[in-house]
Amino acid sequence: MNNSVKFVLDDKIIELDFSRDLKYKPTTTVLNYLRDLSDHKGVKEGCAEGDCGACTVALGELDGNKISYKAVDSCLVFLPMIHGKQIITVENLKNKGELHPVQSAMVECFGSQCGYCTPGFIMSLFALYKNHNNPSKGIVEDALSGNLCRCTGYQFILYSALMACQNDGADHFSEKETQIVKLLKEINKDKKTISLITNNQCYFKPFNLDDALLLRKNYPDAILINGASDIALRQTKNNELLKDIIDLSAIDELKRFEENDDGYYFGSGLSLEALKNYSEKKLKPLYDILKVFGSLQIRNLATIGGNIGSASPIGDTLPVLIAYGAKVILQSAESRRDVSIEEYIKGYRKTDLRKDEIITSVFIPKLNEKSKIKTYKVSKRKDLDISTVSSAFRVSVENEIVKDICMAYGGMAEITKRAKTAETYLLKKKWSRTNIEVAMELIYNEFEPLSDARAESEFRRVAAKNLLMKFFNDLQINNGILKLV
Amino acid sequence: MQEHESAILHCTGEAVFINDMPVSENLLIGHVIYSKHAHAKILEIDFSDAVKLKGVHSILSYKEIPGINQMGPIIHDELCMVENEVTSIGQAILLIAADSKEIAIEAEKLIEIKYEPLEAILSIESAIEKYNLLAPKRKIERGNLQKGFEDSAHIIEGTLKTGAQEHWYLETQICLCIPGEGNEIKAYSSTQHPSETQAIIAEVLGISSKDVEVEVKRIGGAFGGKETEANHIAAWCALLCNATKRPVKIHLFRDDDQIITGKRHRFLSKYKVGFNDEGIINAYSVELNSDAGSATDLSMAILERAMLHADNSYFIPNIKIIGRAYKTNMPSNVAMRGFGGPQAIAVIETAIDKIARYLKMDSAEIRYKNFYKIENNNISPYGQCIENNRLFILFDKLIKSSDYIKRREEINEFNKSNEFYKKGMAITPVKFGISFTTSFLNQAGALVNIYKDGTVLVNHGGTEMGQGLNTKILKITSKELGIKLVKIKVNATNTSKIPNTSATAASSGSDLNGMAVKNAIETIKSRLSEFVVDEFRKKYEGICSKKHNIKFENNFVYDIKIPERKISFNELISNAYLNQISLSSTGYYKTPNIGFDREKGQGKPFHYFAYGMAVSEVIVDTLTGYNKILRTDILHDAGDTLNKGIDKGQVIGGFIQGTGWVTTEDIKWDSDGHLLNHSPDTYKIPTIQDIPEDFRIELLEGYPNENTIRKSKAVGEPPLMLAFSVWLAIKDAISAVGNHEFEPDFSLPATNEVILLSIEKIRKLQKEPA
Repeated sequence: MNNSVKFVLDDKIIELDFSRDLKYKPTTTVLNYLRDLSDHKGVKEGCAEGDCGACTVALGELDGNKISYKAVDSCLVFLPMIHGKQIITVENLKNKGELHPVQSAMVECFGSQCGYCTPGFIMSLFALYKNHNNPSKGIVEDALSGNLCRCTGYQFILYSALMACQNDGADHFSEKETQIVKLLKEINKDKKTISLITNNQCYFKPFNLDDALLLRKNYPDAILINGASDIALRQTKNNELLKDIIDLSAIDELKRFEENDDGYYFGSGLSLEALKNYSEKKLKPLYDILKVFGSLQIRNLATIGGNIGSASPIGDTLPVLIAYGAKVILQSAESRRDVSIEEYIKGYRKTDLRKDEIITSVFIPKLNEKSKIKTYKVSKRKDLDISTVSSAFRVSVENEIVKDICMAYGGMAEITKRAKTAETYLLKKKWSRTNIEVAMELIYNEFEPLSDARAESEFRRVAAKNLLMKFFNDLQINNGILKLV
Repeated sequence: MQEHESAILHCTGEAVFINDMPVSENLLIGHVIYSKHAHAKILEIDFSDAVKLKGVHSILSYKEIPGINQMGPIIHDELCMVENEVTSIGQAILLIAADSKEIAIEAEKLIEIKYEPLEAILSIESAIEKYNLLAPKRKIERGNLQKGFEDSAHIIEGTLKTGAQEHWYLETQICLCIPGEGNEIKAYSSTQHPSETQAIIAEVLGISSKDVEVEVKRIGGAFGGKETEANHIAAWCALLCNATKRPVKIHLFRDDDQIITGKRHRFLSKYKVGFNDEGIINAYSVELNSDAGSATDLSMAILERAMLHADNSYFIPNIKIIGRAYKTNMPSNVAMRGFGGPQAIAVIETAIDKIARYLKMDSAEIRYKNFYKIENNNISPYGQCIENNRLFILFDKLIKSSDYIKRREEINEFNKSNEFYKKGMAITPVKFGISFTTSFLNQAGALVNIYKDGTVLVNHGGTEMGQGLNTKILKITSKELGIKLVKIKVNATNTSKIPNTSATAASSGSDLNGMAVKNAIETIKSRLSEFVVDEFRKKYEGICSKKHNIKFENNFVYDIKIPERKISFNELISNAYLNQISLSSTGYYKTPNIGFDREKGQGKPFHYFAYGMAVSEVIVDTLTGYNKILRTDILHDAGDTLNKGIDKGQVIGGFIQGTGWVTTEDIKWDSDGHLLNHSPDTYKIPTIQDIPEDFRIELLEGYPNENTIRKSKAVGEPPLMLAFSVWLAIKDAISAVGNHEFEPDFSLPATNEVILLSIEKIRKLQKEPA
């Protein structure tokens, strides 16, 4: 049995044998592991929920014969999740006494004040440095929106990023890349399921779908995780003991993206960042919503399977999937079911997923050209915020008459829900401002959303109705053809 | 420009914060069990099972406090641990010391506390209704208010609510206590006020201050939130340390920190303003009502500063300012950057904004007309003359550099041709009084040691929390001694080196401590100059060098009249030591000629004023309330800046922190007083995407500030209030929905919710027949 986790830290393979070493539990977070070491205390805990980025580290992952670098929130990552990867902390950036370019830029530009958030920023900047040459301001902002700073007001950090990232990402990590690739390949040779059994936890990390399905059958109550960005909070925030876990993050079959004549298949294990990049050209509405999903650190961890799996009424991808008429592919050791996303959602965080099934992929059909889709998200803060209200609209109009319409809302009910009354009203009617205004009132009256920490019910209702006007306004009929403007 | 003295350490992760300090295997983790009720009797506490849990070393209640059960900084009305009744959520009931956080949390689950809930006051409105005053009301007035209103052609009245604000320092509250011999205890505390932390630890332990040493190396952000709150954590930690005689660390979890600690005071203010056709204000009356929470803490000082800023930058001949702090069952509210100033300035700026809309004039014009003048009309309501007024310089420069007039026209055009997107713009000033308004607090101490090798260790009473105080102290030392920065180190702040310090607060850190350091250096330089004159006399023939001609510069000490008479700094130090000259000195400074009579509401509370001005332009999506700052231009007065990079950093940081307060930082409580926004999941401070798209920050150059350290000005708090330019620009954009014919319903923060609902009201008004 394989009961150890191996990863590269400080250019060496570290092996944690959970059958012997009782210091850590399988769900010890990378943050807590690092802070427990005497020489990696640069990484900080600011919130333990992935909302501040003070714990940001970079993960190096094998990509052929290269390494790709991603920033992640280490407070949400369990140790077995970094098996086969390189972990890079702020302490690793200096080389032979010389500061890394991102470090010297931050020093020079007055990018730090109290210094507590700084190591996290440095690591986000490092990932940016490795991935982008002369990034635009937009790319820099996206790369740093998962890091909160209360002192600087960010402007000088922005300058640092623009100053530092002016070459092809060359640094001492490039020089050592071959050596690290060798180490990672050595770890990744072994594809036997990792089974970490302690006196109160069972943590399984299978490497292929068949093994995963078998584990699922044998441990029907186990929690399925991939990026764990939602599940981890049950431990870090609520001190819940996560008993049995099946970690799907190492299954390559779940990370595929395929396009055929009918549509697109997205593996459930694709990170939202990967999905965002795939969808940029062909599925713009999906891209738009993913762009404002969490932060880059979160999108690097979170997967589409997880977002669908939790079926939260404020899950950002659900309205757009409903608007697309997407299907969820549910697989067990014995069978496979393709279920429409609307049927899949059964209630508040309740789904049609059976205890022996795993979500393997999501299918998004190609729509005919007349169908127009757009997504909107209303949140208190533009970035790194959960939706107060989100919506996705699909409409097709022929000769100014609505032939088909779908209006799906998140944050308005206990599940992601369509505004059926308003849809019925608009169907077969003229796509006109007058009719839209009537439909807006119907939307306002159709929902009875909650008042909570994010907003009052009244605001949600007003925003929900107004989003239809936004959609109407974003579409224009030119020569009888509906176009997005 | 000299970088932040810890910048390299910050960027390499080598900077040591309290939680990063290596500690012995003996360390215990402290955990606070706090009240879950806003107001309740405690009927029963049962921790008999918890205390038996393996790994639990101590569980304390108020009964185990060896000293006095109190930790109020001025008024002793705040218990260290509650006795029979809780008066707010978050008050400490029990303290646990355990081997690990996990064990402490397990123990918590085994504890049973039975409460009998009592009626609670949870809002300022209900506190006002019950007239539950914390202390007698305060008043500042001038002129004849009634006549002032009678003489005014127009009168506007209103009410303004300003919200609370969570400090959201990245490093949550932390303290590490280490027991010494006998009663001795050493506390590493993330406190802005080491001397008070020391005093409170001594009080709760029933020992004397000489046995308590408090040290502060660096603080991971504070913003006022560690001025008194840090004392609480330190006191709890010290109690556990004393009980177990082992090192104990308490590091609050983020949610606990947000639930337990106080916030910026919520205010509910009522105002009435009288003005003429030109928009010149003749009379202003304002009632500032604050939610102090369950204890006094610094609420009265905060209220006082609010009252002293009710005028902001405007001369108002007839004025009455009433201040009332109300006691509620909320966690006691505390200091936060601006210290009441922002809450009062929001009111007068709102009044001016309304005057402009009422008279259909540009608010910039109304502001300009009402500014304090240079020669006359330059006395504040509390009798202090507004000297070195920079308002006109700032206004003229900024209106030009921001292209205000042209952009105003462009915005009007944009708004005419866009139905759903509206733009808005506003220019707002700040005039902020510098000094603690409790005058005796304006004192500071320093201890400068020069070692035989010519290196210098500086101790002072201020704390470094990111603001760059130590960077400025280094520069001051380097300039005064004429030696390189590498030869100087600023030591961790330690109560055994500098006693009886004031909090590093009120933006005064470098003003007070910089002067104290300078005075210490002056003393040593005086001794050295005397010595060097003597040395020169022995060495050189001719007329003797004069002591006052001895200069310290470029690592040398020389006679400015006869420059060839010189000696290297290092050689001088070495010789001075051999000749038994003391190379160490304390320094002391107190701000001269200030004083304020609280009863009369008159005096000179401030050493000087700091000024700033900002123009912000925003765009608002009127269908969702979404908004974005398109451009902000700031011109800020920092005197002769001690460090441009540091000071600009303070301006930007303060402005963005203020922007958070006026936009997204909404705090809600449920009907039982439970905080709903207790983590960054729902409490939204600005991110990098919330800063202005086009952000231009300049410091006013060529206007030195006399009588301060190297002619500089304090810069910590004032820029926060420049965020009113954003807030009122949003209001301007909302107002454009109704073509500026309706006064928008508006409060602070202007969340997208406030904005959207305000717009909906205007749309409804538009539809109503006139």
